[in-house]
Amino acid sequence: METSNLTNKDNEILSLANNLRWDLGVNFHDTVIESIYEDASRIAQRTVAQEGDPAKHFDLKIDRIVTSRWLGFPIMFLLLALVFWLTVSGANYPSGLLADLFIGKLYPLLKQFAANIGTPAWLSGVLIDGAYLAVAWVVSVMLPPMAIFFPLFTLLEDFGYLPRVAFNMDSLFRKAGAHGKQALTLSMGFGCNAAGVIATRVIDSPRERLIAIITNNFSLCNGRWPTQILIATIFIGGAVPSYLAGIVSAGAVVGIAVLGIGFSLAVSWGLSKSILRGEASAFSLELPPYRPPRIWQTLYTSLIDRTIFVLWRAIVFALPAGILIWVVANVHIHGISIAEHFIDWSNPFAVIFGLNGVILLAYIIAIPANEIVIPTVLMLTVLQTGMSGVGAGAGVMFDTASIQGTEEILRAGGWTLLTGINLMLFSLLHNPCSTTIYTIFKETHSWKWTLVSTFLPIVLGLIVCFFTTQIWLLITS
Amino acid sequence: MVEITYIGWITGPALSLLLGFGVLMVLAGIFWPKYGLIALSRKSNLNKQRVWLEDALKFLFDCEYKKTACNLNSIAGNLHISTDKTARLLNRLRTMGLITMEDEANLQLTDAGRSYALRIIRVHRIWERYLADETGIDQMDWHGEADLQEHQLSPSAANQLAARMGNPVFDPHGDPIPTIEGAMPVHRGQPLSSLEEGTVAQIVHLEDEPYTIYEQLVALGLYPGMQVYVMDKTDGKITFAADGEECILTTLFAASITVETIQSKEKIREKLDLLSSLAIGESAEIAGLSPNMRGQQRRRLMDLGFVPGTAIRAELYSASGDPVGYRILGTTVGIRKQQADLIFIKRIKNEAS
Amino acid sequence: MNNTQGCENCPVHHKEHLIRMGIAMDRVDYVIALAGNPNTGKSTVFNNLTGLRQHTGNWPGKTVSRAEGGYSYAEKRYKVVDLPGTYSLLSTSTDEDVARNFILFGRPDVTVIVADATRLERNLNLTLQILEITDRAVLCLNLMDEAKRNHIEIDLRNLSKELGIPVIPAAARQKEGMPELIQAIEEVASGKYVCKPHRAKSKSPKLNHAIATLVKKLEEQFPGIPNLNWVALRLLEGDESIIDAIRTGELGTLSPTTFPTLAS
Repeated sequence: METSNLTNKDNEILSLANNLRWDLGVNFHDTVIESIYEDASRIAQRTVAQEGDPAKHFDLKIDRIVTSRWLGFPIMFLLLALVFWLTVSGANYPSGLLADLFIGKLYPLLKQFAANIGTPAWLSGVLIDGAYLAVAWVVSVMLPPMAIFFPLFTLLEDFGYLPRVAFNMDSLFRKAGAHGKQALTLSMGFGCNAAGVIATRVIDSPRERLIAIITNNFSLCNGRWPTQILIATIFIGGAVPSYLAGIVSAGAVVGIAVLGIGFSLAVSWGLSKSILRGEASAFSLELPPYRPPRIWQTLYTSLIDRTIFVLWRAIVFALPAGILIWVVANVHIHGISIAEHFIDWSNPFAVIFGLNGVILLAYIIAIPANEIVIPTVLMLTVLQTGMSGVGAGAGVMFDTASIQGTEEILRAGGWTLLTGINLMLFSLLHNPCSTTIYTIFKETHSWKWTLVSTFLPIVLGLIVCFFTTQIWLLITS
Repeated sequence: MVEITYIGWITGPALSLLLGFGVLMVLAGIFWPKYGLIALSRKSNLNKQRVWLEDALKFLFDCEYKKTACNLNSIAGNLHISTDKTARLLNRLRTMGLITMEDEANLQLTDAGRSYALRIIRVHRIWERYLADETGIDQMDWHGEADLQEHQLSPSAANQLAARMGNPVFDPHGDPIPTIEGAMPVHRGQPLSSLEEGTVAQIVHLEDEPYTIYEQLVALGLYPGMQVYVMDKTDGKITFAADGEECILTTLFAASITVETIQSKEKIREKLDLLSSLAIGESAEIAGLSPNMRGQQRRRLMDLGFVPGTAIRAELYSASGDPVGYRILGTTVGIRKQQADLIFIKRIKNEAS
Repeated sequence: MNNTQGCENCPVHHKEHLIRMGIAMDRVDYVIALAGNPNTGKSTVFNNLTGLRQHTGNWPGKTVSRAEGGYSYAEKRYKVVDLPGTYSLLSTSTDEDVARNFILFGRPDVTVIVADATRLERNLNLTLQILEITDRAVLCLNLMDEAKRNHIEIDLRNLSKELGIPVIPAAARQKEGMPELIQAIEEVASGKYVCKPHRAKSKSPKLNHAIATLVKKLEEQFPGIPNLNWVALRLLEGDESIIDAIRTGELGTLSPTTFPTLAS
């Protein structure tokens, strides 16, 4: 064996180190830390003078309330419910404004302009009907709720309340083999799953962090709330007497969200018993002192760090998807579009799950953002049924001006109460949007876990829809 | 009419449901961890021959390391295979140049055989360390899991794992982990059963085979690093104090514990209270962390100030009662009861004054 | 008269010379590392120095990736690297690897340790560990306003003497203490202030012997490295990056005789 002199000497050092480590025994790391703390404590004693008992301060008083047995959970639910309510109700108006601007005003102008300069139909179709519309949709539906949700959430964080939520919720998550901080990433997921996945960085243990990442998709994100509300209003609200419609459909949406939390916990438990086996490990959570949040800085940073960041990623993914959507709806093979080929082919299969080919195709091509699922569904239904006089023309995504309009189209597409329920379930239990999938890959650096996080919810969704459908048919037949 | 709907009912949803259940069952049968088809086929794919070969080398190395006798019968017993098979196996090992064999009682590892054995042992012990430090897998399952992994994990993957964990030099039972180059320290210590009355010693190793004995030792709460003091030794029984608690073992069981005598005049540690016993508002001083607190958990807590001598006070319950917030070095830290059970404290006397 | 005139030249009054450069840095004179426990206002200090707006959450372990920014002061350009907040540098986690390796291999000209004045003892743990690695550090004692509210008094002079580095009281949220911090950084970076960092000595004779043995061996191979004790300790902890640095010989580049690679 010829080795250079240098390597020999280096190995000498390394093997010496190894021998010394064997001599030092198992507890030596403890000794090191202990002696450092000993010094620290000696220096602190010489230099720090403390008057009075600092523990009986303001923080403890707040903590005694927000972590108390009786008030702890109600306060938490109220605060989180308030955040979600402000988000959902507050986003409606600006979303409408943006949609009116981008789709109602700017879109016809663009079309007109393209026609005037003589752009070929296919090019203006790909660029304006496809790419532009998809991006416009994502921006107008996504931006307002995020611009409300993230700052509110960040205010809670800056104040120091969020660690208390983890502290209170830990016992529930511990039973599912997960970490208390998952309560936060789960809540964050209600705003946006991609942001929820990034937030899992606060979880130290890699096993528990993976559990939190994989299950984050079960939090019904902002992009799915409008779908849930729309379908619940049409089909569930429509199935009960009108004076009950409002409360029943609202209850159905909340029920889906709660079901999502249930799935989150159940899947966490399942994972911790199987592929991510192990007991809930380290839980040491520092409860930082409360600090008054600085409103302006919070607004600024949460807009820059979270909203714009997530929105940008969504746009990047929505653009090619818009093109794809246009292509499948407008490129014809043997006289009918690719979309219709797929719908006809997949319909028999989809019916087993109480869905239809349109829904399946919409979920496949609208993967960049859940926000464009409904416009895609409407466009495909019109395409498939050959309805005329609705929408912006064949093969172009659109949304109707009224709920009744949407209802008419969907009913014409053969939708029933069962389809509605299944769509709500499938909207909860399907693959994460591409932004989230990409984020999961960035965070885990692993294809395996990215694939698991992508396909696990789809499989679950298909199973749930299948049994719902078949049991429903069994009862109603 | 009635008949037709009846048939329709059977062939419709009910049949689909049955089929659906069937498909689920089949999928579960394939993918179920540990007992599913995939898991089983993975297990059986492990080449039986190679496993025996590697296990035999490991056993031979162990004998050499501990300077105990080793022959065909003891190998057969260790591998749970017939003596015929063992003889064939040993022949194979010899033709492969891994051992030399003058007769059945005189088996010697060659250099190649020794380095092969060390590679396997290294993977086994690194995996045990990994299971102990980074997963919540039960202590009793470490050995079995590592026995499977040692034949599957490539040495380079094991090296990467080790590097990530800070190149550990001991497995969780206190055994040294061989280096990549195959270096091992000389065997140290003696069995607990050989100690005289009145000696003070420190446990350096708990033998994890056979399982039943190991289970007993773990149930008694024994661990490497624990200080023991032999109180009495009479007819096949040894009585000793381990961290202040009295234990009685037969010599057979005590032989599974390796100890090193220490001259220290340190007094035997008294029995300590647990952090979890502290009521809200009570204060105490940290006395130490249990060795069952391992890996990241242990380091994280020490970084937060959970080292002997630090003052701590139970401050508040969470809304569900567990975890509990403890005030330590000016910060409130939430700790689960599970962990608080592994932290020793000394109560501070006359707190009122 | 004479007095005020004299003080026009002292660096504190050069506040107007502080130019925040955000992330525009093409050539820098000094590299500053910003280290500290989580939740001590480290990011706020970073933002104050650089004029950037890193998110500062009231949540332990917020800064996960390394942020960089710059400022220029008294005609020198400084690059500030905000390291992830950690409680220690001796455990195995990605955050700690990043922080530890930057302080050791990145060889910053000054390491600013941001500590929480209300929890000094806890913060001293990390401070002492950093002083094992580097000779040139400044302790920024942040949250002094909170400490005052909690009636905590700190003998700054004595603390500075004990640690052997400048100690600057600050309240970063109110932007208090920043000029003094910038000045202290300048003094340490330019060598006007020579640090005599506190080096902890373990009580365990076994450990001390092991470290001494290793240091002797290391000295033969890599002479002139200022923090061999730390290198030896990390070797005993099985730190892969140190082992790698020995295998590849990169450790040799840490001696002050070789030219610094990062700042240039």
